[in-house]
Amino acid sequence: MKPRILLAIFTIPLALIIAAVPENTTHAFKLTASQLLEEANSGVQYYSPDEIADMIINKDPSLQLIDVRNADEFEKFNLPGAMNIPLADILSKDWQGYLDQDGRINIFYSNGTLKSDKAWMITRQLGYENNYVLLGGLNYWVETIMNPSAPKNTSPNEEFAKYDFRKGAGKALGGSAGAVGESTTSTKLPMPMIKSKPKKKRVQGGC
Amino acid sequence: MGPLIAYEIITENTNLFFAFLIGIGFGFVLERAGFSSSRKLVGVFYGYDTVVLKVFFTAGITAMLGLLFFSLFGWIDHDLIYINPTYLYSTIVGGMIMGTGFIIGGYCPGTSICAASIGKIDAMFFVLGIFIGVNIFNETYPLWENFYKAKFLGAPKLSEFLGISDGIMALLFVGMAMFAFWLGEIFEKIKKPVIY
Repeated sequence: MKPRILLAIFTIPLALIIAAVPENTTHAFKLTASQLLEEANSGVQYYSPDEIADMIINKDPSLQLIDVRNADEFEKFNLPGAMNIPLADILSKDWQGYLDQDGRINIFYSNGTLKSDKAWMITRQLGYENNYVLLGGLNYWVETIMNPSAPKNTSPNEEFAKYDFRKGAGKALGGSAGAVGESTTSTKLPMPMIKSKPKKKRVQGGC
Repeated sequence: MGPLIAYEIITENTNLFFAFLIGIGFGFVLERAGFSSSRKLVGVFYGYDTVVLKVFFTAGITAMLGLLFFSLFGWIDHDLIYINPTYLYSTIVGGMIMGTGFIIGGYCPGTSICAASIGKIDAMFFVLGIFIGVNIFNETYPLWENFYKAKFLGAPKLSEFLGISDGIMALLFVGMAMFAFWLGEIFEKIKKPVIY
C-alpha cells in the first residue's frame, strides 16, 4: 500500500471526528461537581462573626469584606471597610481582579448566607481561592456582635469571655446601643495583588 | 495541564533541554530521510521529488490533529499557545525571499545546518550566507522598519478568518494535503527520475 493511502486512512477519519465534535471550552483548573459538593458540605468556607469582628478591630490588612447584596441594601448598612459586588455582577470582568487573587482573604456576606454561599460556589467553581463566607450573614452578625445577649449565670466561663469580647467588639463597631442601620462610607480599595496567571511564552522555530 | 511552560510545570531551562533533545531527533530524522541532499530538496520545485512537500505537510497535519485532540481531552489550553503575529507585507515578501533562496541554494535554513553537519561544503556556504543576510537585515533595519511592521493583523487563525470551526478547518486542511500528495505523485510520474 502506498504511504499516501495509509496516511489518508489514518488522518481523514481523525479529521472527520474533530470536525464533528464541538470545541472544548472547559478549563482544567475547574472543580468537579463532587469536589464542590464535598467542600460545600464540610463548611470550610465559613468564618464566624467573632473571627471577623476580631479581624476588623485589629485592622487585619488581609481582610476584605465583600457585600454581595444589591447597591441599595449596601447603602443602608454595611460592615466597615466592605466593598459592594452585587451577586448579579459577580462574573463581570471588573471584579475578577478582586475575586481571583492570592493577597487577601475575601469574606462574602449578605443578610443570611444564601447569596454569599452562591457567590462562594460560583467563584469556587471558577477555581478562585481565598474566598470565604460570613457564617450566618448580617442577621447573625447583628444578633451576636451588635446585640449580644448575656449568657445564663450557670454558663461556663468561656461563654462569659465570649460575651465580653462581643460586647466590646459591638461597641467598637458602633453596635450595642442599637445603632444598627448607620452607614459607614466605604472607600474603594486598591486592587489587590493580581494572581500570577499562566503566560504565553514566545517560541522560536522554523523549517 | 498544558502548555507545560505556561503552567510552570517545567521551567524555561528544562524546556530548553527538551528542545535540545527534540532538535537532535529532528536533525537526525531529517538527515536519515535524505534531507541533507539539496537535489532531493529542490525536487519539489521541479516536480521530480515531492518528498519535502509530503514530510512538512504530514508534520503539519499531525501536529494540528494532535493539538485539537489534546484540547478536546482537556490536556492543553489553546488560549495559552503563543501564535506568531502576522505582518502581512513582510510575510509575503519574506516568503518570496525564502523561496528564492531555497531554489538557488538548495536548502532551507534547518536542512542547511543538517547538511553542513555531515560535511557538505555547499551547505556550509549556505549557512554562512544566512549569517551574512541576517547581519545585513539587522544593520539596515531602520530602513525597513516601516515596511516590516506594515499591515499588522494580530495573530489570526485561518478558521477565524473564514468564520468556521477549527475542526472543519482541520478537515479541509487534511483534504488539501491528500490532494497535494496525489498531485505530487502524478508530477513524479511525468518527470524523468533524477539520479542523486
